[in-house]
Order: sequence, then structure tokens, then C-alpha cells
Amino acid sequence: MREIVRVNMATGAISKEPLPAAWARYGGRALTSALVFKEVPADADPLGPDNKLIIAPGLLGGTAAPNGGRISIGAKSPLTGGIKESNSGGTAAHALGKMGIAAIIIEGVPADKTVSYVLRLFPDGMIDLVARHDLKGLGTYETVAVAKGIEAAEHRFSDKASFITIGPTGEMGMKSAGIAMTDPHGYPNRFAGRGGLGAVMGSKGLKLIAIFEEGLKGTEHADKEAFTAAVRKFANALTTHAVTGTALPTYGTNVLANIINEAGGYPTRNFSSGQFEGVEGISGETMREITLERGGNVKHGCHTGCVIQCSRYYVDKDGHYMTKGPEYESAWSLGANCGISDMDTVAALDRKCGDIGIDTIEAGVMLGVYMASGKIAFGDGPAALAALDEIGKGTELGKILGDGAEATGLAFGVKNIPVVKHQGLPAYDPRPIQGIGVTYATSTMGADHTAGYTITSNVLAVGGTVDPLKPEGQAALSQGLQIATAMLDSLGFCIFVAFAVLDMPEAFEAIHEMAAAHTGEAWDADALMQLGKETLTYERLFNEHAGFTNADDRLPKFFLEEKLAPHDVVFTVTDEELDSVYAFVPEVAAQLGIK
Amino acid sequence: MKVDVVLFAYLATFQPDGRGGRHSRTFDLEEGTTIADVIAMIGLPDEPRVVFVNSRHAPEDQVLREGDRLAIFPPVAGG
Repeated sequence: MREIVRVNMATGAISKEPLPAAWARYGGRALTSALVFKEVPADADPLGPDNKLIIAPGLLGGTAAPNGGRISIGAKSPLTGGIKESNSGGTAAHALGKMGIAAIIIEGVPADKTVSYVLRLFPDGMIDLVARHDLKGLGTYETVAVAKGIEAAEHRFSDKASFITIGPTGEMGMKSAGIAMTDPHGYPNRFAGRGGLGAVMGSKGLKLIAIFEEGLKGTEHADKEAFTAAVRKFANALTTHAVTGTALPTYGTNVLANIINEAGGYPTRNFSSGQFEGVEGISGETMREITLERGGNVKHGCHTGCVIQCSRYYVDKDGHYMTKGPEYESAWSLGANCGISDMDTVAALDRKCGDIGIDTIEAGVMLGVYMASGKIAFGDGPAALAALDEIGKGTELGKILGDGAEATGLAFGVKNIPVVKHQGLPAYDPRPIQGIGVTYATSTMGADHTAGYTITSNVLAVGGTVDPLKPEGQAALSQGLQIATAMLDSLGFCIFVAFAVLDMPEAFEAIHEMAAAHTGEAWDADALMQLGKETLTYERLFNEHAGFTNADDRLPKFFLEEKLAPHDVVFTVTDEELDSVYAFVPEVAAQLGIK
Repeated sequence: MKVDVVLFAYLATFQPDGRGGRHSRTFDLEEGTTIADVIAMIGLPDEPRVVFVNSRHAPEDQVLREGDRLAIFPPVAGG
């Protein structure tokens, strides 16, 4: 029986309770969203005592499910004002799964704001909350280094420890603050970046969560033999598909830079062009060449159980670790969107974002908006780095910039602010790639590419093809992918498994076979889709209660009015089609008995 | 006619000059040459790929025209 751990930051009380039977199929995003829906008032102040930070491994967390070690962090978002599930790699999900923990709920706020708290979970089931005075204001890397030193001195630390932490921006309550997780090598470089959840953790006075898993066994399965067979089938699909077996492990996610640029959908200089003349300098191919030349690592998993291995480390000219190999989104946001074409500059910006603890997407979109204001120039890397320093120090300017793209655009009078539900748009322009525009507009998360990654069919010819330049078929494509993604996020899978799943029926079968063999309950294709729909229903209803209407499911006007080169197109999916994406909600809400 | 050809990721090594790299090379082709003809000429492996002509997806039986930019990718994805 999985358990929920509840930590009250006002009283210091820690308790355990069984996971409600009605939620036996939930993990990851389904669980964080169901809990936020049930326990957080929709009108709660995101940084006040009524908001809750919820951390959940997927349903298959702690098992050997390939690429099943992702973690979901949920709360009401200070950035969007709606529900948020931010998803990350790292090692924590696996550790929590092995402990039999379905979710950790962090609630309340402490009276003493000068203290930083550390929540520790030990292999024997003991959990404690320790007050510390030496972690305040530290960057994520230093926080983890200090924590390792303390735990080593107390003989508790081993390589089998996972850390979840925030930087100074989270402590200061900035809306672009994320939450960092340590990766399999102990670097705090994997992020639940989006939606300002670092600020929620900071509002709770919680600086660090340390999870010690040494000696823990893997979770047990209802049918071990069937589980092992399904694992083998799934791993085989992931390692043989051309994308998950070859392109991703070789070049990383940034292999996308050239193809999205070629398709004319690579947002450049605050979404003013669809192609960047400097793409070569920041492409995945170039990053691989530089890293190999300097002796860096170009292939490893970002989370426990990963067989795709698309992560890498970026090293400086002397071969020293700087940061993770900037992901496609980060290389774009801190590169093309700022008119910057130098990989070392992008890596320095990525490292700074990671250390002060802000979302690289929101940071790059913010910098693009700031550059559009004329305060600093497009292409000026040192000025961009200085702007991030202001954020880390919490200066008057830094507090504006640290609240993200919209806050910055409003403060400096910028006309084109690329946000939906107050969250910055990721690395695909919705004019020449219309399907992703549907996802940006309608996702419960605000502008989020991962919520329904239509780039698959729109550009990459994975899972069929849908012409990216035309409005036809985009709403249905986005809806299907949003449901499937919510399901994968709930089971704890990396969404990149979808590239294989969309093309290989046996990979999809393997998912419900793993779920059935692990839980001993009946799972099939319909049950998987139902899980996705239920997850989205909680989210959609929470957002409705928080005051969102269909009018919030729209792109900023300039995407409908200003043509984008080279295709000279605007976004043309109709409002009616956008409003059709969540048509399933009333029926599923009735099944769940919620309103 | 002149057509610019660009090959990305691990296909870059198939450029006829053997120098790799993602910069375009100008091919001198006969009128009526299709994308499939170019693919056969440079000897790309018989695997799935994504093809663009002038930034639009193009079927491999499409006839190329003077001044076209032909870009070929292996299956890639990320995000």
C-alpha cells in the first residue's frame, strides 16, 4: 500500500496516511493534480499558507520500467494563477517509489522566515525536518555541496542520495523560480522548472529535501514475470526506434535546432522571425562536436531507469563541468530568442539560471522581451548574464526580471509579449507550426510544449503527418496528445517514450502490460486514456474555479495579426476549434463525481 | 540547374565532397531531377528521413527546380 507523507511547515508535524483507495491508479501528475484540486482552495494565495507543494513519483516510480523515473511537482502556480504540474528527471522519483511513498504534501508556512528547513527521508522510514541557518541564499550547486558535507560528517551521505532544492530566487518568491533535482551523478541540474514552483517551496521555508535510499529494494510486483517481459518489450522498442535509439542519444534534444529552423518555426529575437542565421553555432551537432573535442560526456540518462540517454554535460575550454548540455529549449531561449549564436555564452547563461534556480524557458523569453524593450541589445551575451545576476541578487530590477516575461514586458512597455496564461512560450512559433499553438493556447499549464507535443506530426513525421501551416486537424491532434501526455506523466514516464509509442504498437501495449503486471489490476488502452482524461479534468476544473474561462485559452493577438517570415503566415485555428479541445471534461467530471 | 543541398545530423557525412558539415553545397543537376534521384546519387541509407524543399515538407518524387534548397534530416525529435 502506497502512502502519502504530510509535512506541516507551520507546526513541524510529519504524518503518514494511506493513499485513498479511489486513487489507487494515480501517481505522478494524476496524483499531484487530484490533490491540488481536492486540498488547495482555487482562490488561495500561491505563496500563502493555503497553497500546498506536492511531490509525487509516477505510478511505476521505483520499478525497473524503462524511462519510468520522472517526478511530478504540483501546486497552484504563482506564475499562471492556475494549477501546475512541473515534471523533472533526476533520481528522487525512483527513491520515493522504492520507499512506497505516493506523494509528499508540504503544507502551511513557518512563522520564522529566517530559517531554512531541510526535510530528510531515510531508508528505514524515518522522516525529520531540520532547521538550518547556513543555507539561506545559496545557489543550488552550493546548497547540494554543503548538504553533502553535513550528511557525510554525520555518516549518512552516500552516493545513493537524492536532493531536491531551490536557489535564492525561490527563497525570494520570484515567479520564474524552479525546483532543482540532482541527477544520477549528483549535479542539481534537472529542473521542475516551469510555473514558479520554486517560489512555492521557498514560501514554505523549505530549502532542501534529502532522500537516502541506500539498501532499499525495488518495489514488488503483482506479477513479476509479466512485468519483466513487458519491460523487455518496452526497452527493445525504445532502443530500436530511430529517434529514441539513435538521434536522441547521439545529439541530445538540441538535435531539433536545425530541423525547427529549417521548418521556419524557430522563434528568433522575441518571436520576430522563424529562422535564425546563427543556428549552426547553437545546434545539437555543434554542441556534440565542442563537447567531444573538450573531453566532455555526451551520453547519459537524466533519471534513474533511462535507456534513451539523451542527457550530456557541457564543459568549459579546460574540460571542467559547466552545466548540463543545454536542452533544445534552453539553447533556443538563451540563444536564438536572444540573438545569441555562441554555445559557450548559452552554456554560461544556462549555468547561471540553474544556480540561481530559475526556469531557462521563462528566463530566455524574459530576456527576449527585455531586449525587445531596447534596455539591452539582442545578441549581447554579457548584458544577458548581467541581467541574470540582478535576478540572483534580488535587486529592484532583478525582482521585475525574475517574475518572468510578462512582468518584464509590462514594466518596460513591450508590445509583443509571448505568453499564454502569463507563462512564456517555448521554442516553436505557433504561426508556421499551428498544432503547437493549440497546445499553448488550451493547456491547463499555460504555454507549454510538453503538454501536447504536436511537433511530432507537424514537423518530425513521427506518429503520422499533419500539415503544420494549415489549421485543419490541429485541435484533434493536440487533444489526443494532451490526453496521452497526462497519462505518461502520471505513470512516471519520460514523454520522449512517445516518439516510439506513436510509431510502434508494441510499445504502447507494453505500457499497459507493465501497469497491469505491477499493480495486479486490469489495465488496457482505454484505461490509460481514461487516466489522462481524469488528470486533465481535475486541472481544467481547478482552473475554472480559479477564474479561467475560454478567453484565457487564446494566443496573444500578435500571433493572429503579424505574419512571420519565412512562411509569412499567422495563426488561423479558430476559437471554436480551440474550445473543442476540452469538450470531454463535463462527462469525465460526472464520472468522477466532481464539479 | 543549380540546387543547394544540406544534410543534417549523421547524414552530413554523405555529402559527396566527404567533408561533412551542415553548410549547403550547390549541386548542378539536370532538369527534371527529383528528390529521390538526389538521394540515390549521394547514397543515403534506405531509412526513414524528413525532407524539406524551401522550408516545406516535400515528397521524394517531387521534381526540383532551379534555386531550390533541399534539406534532409534523419528521424529526429526532442523537446
